[in-house]
Amino acid sequence: MGELANQIVQGVLVGGLYAMYAMGLSLSVGVMRFVNIAHGDLIVLFSFLILALIHATGIGALPATLMTLPIAFVGGYFLQRFLLQRVLGQGVLPIILVTFGLSIIIQNGLLGTFGADTRRVSGGGFETATLRIGGGINIGVLPLTIFIVAILMVLALDWLLYRTRLGARIRAVSDDPATANLVGLPSARVYATAMGIVGVTIAISAGFMSIWTNFDPTAGPSRLLIAFEAVVLGGLGSLWGTLVGGIILGVAQALGAQIDVSWQLLAGHIVFLVIFLARPEGLFPKY
Amino acid sequence: MQHPNRLWIVYLARAALFAAAVVMAVAPMLLATRDIAILTEFLSLLTIAIMWNLLAGYADIVSVGQHAFVGVGAYALFGFAAIAHVDPYLAIPLSALVALVVALPVMVIIFRLRTAYLAVGSWVVAETIMLAAGKLSAFGGGSGISLPVSVVRGFGSRVTERYATIYWIAFAVAALALVATWLLMRSRIGLGLTAMRDNEEGAGVVGVNLIGLRVLCFLWTAPFLGLAGAVITLQKLRVSPPASFSIIDWTVYVIFIVVIGGIGSFEGPIIGTVVFFLIREYLSEIGVWHFIILGVLSIAVVLIEPRGLWGLVRRLLPADVIPISRRRRVRR
Amino acid sequence: MDALLDITDLSVSYGPFHALGPVSLTVGAGEIVSIIGANGAGKSSLMKAIVGQAGRSEGKIVFEGEDITARTTAQIARAGIALVPEGRRLFPSLTVEENLRIGWEVGRQGAFGFDEIYALFPALAERRTLHVRHLSGGQQQMVALGRGLLANPKLLLCDEISLGLAPVVIADLYRIIPEIRDRGIGIVIVEQDITRSLAVADRFYCLLEGRVNLSGRPTNTNRDEVARHYFGM
Ligand SMILES: Nc1ncnc2c1ncn2[C@@H]1O[C@H](COP(=O)(O)OP(=O)(O)OP(=O)(O)O)[C@@H](O)[C@H]1O
Ligand SMILES: [Mg+2]
Repeated sequence: MGELANQIVQGVLVGGLYAMYAMGLSLSVGVMRFVNIAHGDLIVLFSFLILALIHATGIGALPATLMTLPIAFVGGYFLQRFLLQRVLGQGVLPIILVTFGLSIIIQNGLLGTFGADTRRVSGGGFETATLRIGGGINIGVLPLTIFIVAILMVLALDWLLYRTRLGARIRAVSDDPATANLVGLPSARVYATAMGIVGVTIAISAGFMSIWTNFDPTAGPSRLLIAFEAVVLGGLGSLWGTLVGGIILGVAQALGAQIDVSWQLLAGHIVFLVIFLARPEGLFPKY
Repeated sequence: MQHPNRLWIVYLARAALFAAAVVMAVAPMLLATRDIAILTEFLSLLTIAIMWNLLAGYADIVSVGQHAFVGVGAYALFGFAAIAHVDPYLAIPLSALVALVVALPVMVIIFRLRTAYLAVGSWVVAETIMLAAGKLSAFGGGSGISLPVSVVRGFGSRVTERYATIYWIAFAVAALALVATWLLMRSRIGLGLTAMRDNEEGAGVVGVNLIGLRVLCFLWTAPFLGLAGAVITLQKLRVSPPASFSIIDWTVYVIFIVVIGGIGSFEGPIIGTVVFFLIREYLSEIGVWHFIILGVLSIAVVLIEPRGLWGLVRRLLPADVIPISRRRRVRR
Repeated sequence: MDALLDITDLSVSYGPFHALGPVSLTVGAGEIVSIIGANGAGKSSLMKAIVGQAGRSEGKIVFEGEDITARTTAQIARAGIALVPEGRRLFPSLTVEENLRIGWEVGRQGAFGFDEIYALFPALAERRTLHVRHLSGGQQQMVALGRGLLANPKLLLCDEISLGLAPVVIADLYRIIPEIRDRGIGIVIVEQDITRSLAVADRFYCLLEGRVNLSGRPTNTNRDEVARHYFGM
């Protein structure tokens, strides 16, 4: 009994990391209405960037992650402005093909640069600390931190989108880019800013992922699939829904792993497909 | 467009295509075993490329999960031939049938997603099927299993003989895929598909049944992908989840092939497969770089000439090399 | 005096289809110009072409002495032309106030602030935190007009603002138009309803199949003549 409860708690905490992967995707799906196939690869790319920064300068994982945030914003901005924007609004095929090509380029660029080895970043002892709650439940300090940061990210993005001028602009452009232009909003720049914010969420999740889990150059697609599932489960464009979606997947995987380790991933996918068939619009649809 | 003086190029290209088909039909009598193996791979990949082009180029089903059906075909072949001891030649069409049956529930899932999300949705489904295949202990679980020698012998006792037989099966599958899909495109259904490719809203307005066409195309591709999977298994003599359901081999490469060759045309997948094999033969030593080149090339194609290499060539020609519309010219 | 807006030989086509032109017309500051014409005459195409949103357009558009033909839609908006588009085109996921604010953020100084808009449309003041999809058609049109006015344009283009509204509501909207003109703003109104639009207009142009076939001052023009040109008889 205690063991089961413990597994569920661990699953919920893993869900925080999954929600983190998914938050940027949720934003780009909600605002620009496309699924970036390179989303997972961008997370992995930033994990390697953080790794390289740590090796080059000897700083810790936290400052290294913080250093990548501005790079991620600018990178996201320019990626949108000069590549994705050019194929937006022409149907789904071009945008899928471009982000798909990007995904393959990133994976193989990383393979060429860093080799195929599995990596991990040291959190300096932080990652092994645990809190003993009693009843057989142990909570890792790192997973707990990630979970709290995930909640803070939802709060921050929610505030940004629904309480600020920038957020109103982003929603306006997302509703109707042509009319936004009509009232003087440069849609292309607003989209690019939104993608810059997506970039920041990618860098944050990359920082936490690199301490908590192993990664290698081809780890991107599995992150993309998890992120996609969390977004769809939660309801497209709903940030709190995305968090819940991530938690459901985390718990499903944790319970699957109880049967047998090899059931972990499969259990997540099956739970996703079952809930999706029952509620295609997600648990918390926007409208 | 007026290029009557260039019509001879089109006829020449048709003659070349026909000659290539004839040569390929008798290739095992002309070529070494290694080359036959490469040509067999070529034909399998061509089959898959034709199918992906039909989906993404015409029916607006941009799937990233079609490797699922290749894998299903592979596992079905193993199941019938090695476990159920069905005649191996009969096992091949049966794998197509299994792929078709699996396509039904898959379709129910992914057609609930809007087109933009269908890509990753189909990938999730493919991943799930692959992981599930790894749970089949009779098929070697996660690490896979080799075809028993008895089954392999069924296609010829000597290696050269076997290579030739498998090659001809691959040739028959590719020819069937090409001709059947060509006939589909020349039928009334094909007219609707072309209308859909050119203008989806317009096609809906003039009464083209978009959902019906999508369903038809999706179900059309599954058995051919299953056949390709069966052929690939005969050649590789082994099934395993990562290889039989390889996203790199049966989806990534295929997307590059179709995009670079020319999506939404009949000639595109053929040109793309040829170009791909040339790149692979000559650039495979550069390792990851050939992927990067393919990725950059496909992004460039989308930005510069969405109709790919064939789109570039087609501008200079007065007609398609493989004509799809029955009337010679559709008036606008 | 130079006109506020001076259009020379403007034409618009969508693919092979020729929708408008060539037409030439002018609008002065503090003047209401009415564009009338039957369904499909090209009125909306003209409005969209002015703000750079029509299919493929040719010709020359000069605003306040500057050639704006090649500018982007957002630049034209910031230069002082606001279009209240056909069908309102509000942002459904924004509240009333947020919709208005998007117009305000064009960043032009002038007579219209939030207080003025809420004074003109008291119904909106009570509903500022509602999402626009919960408003009635008339209230939505008020938001669209308010959004345009908050940009403090020098030229306001109104495309069929009375479409689908009850007569009382239309009368309300049309009472405001001359007030706006009296602040020195040039106004173009597009309507199918000839009577309503000629009643407030200083000048008019009648479009038939993409061309101007009659223009002048409503006061000097016989209604039957307008009707004949409207229907192309
Ligand atoms: N985006 C478009 N693509 C193709 N044709 C168009 C497009 N927009 C308008 N048209 C065509 O151009 C012509 C002029 O259209 P426009 O909308 O300018 O007319 P209008 O005078 O505003 O008509 P209405 O009174 O119905 O609003 C019409 O025949 C219309 O069908
Ligand atoms: Mg109109």
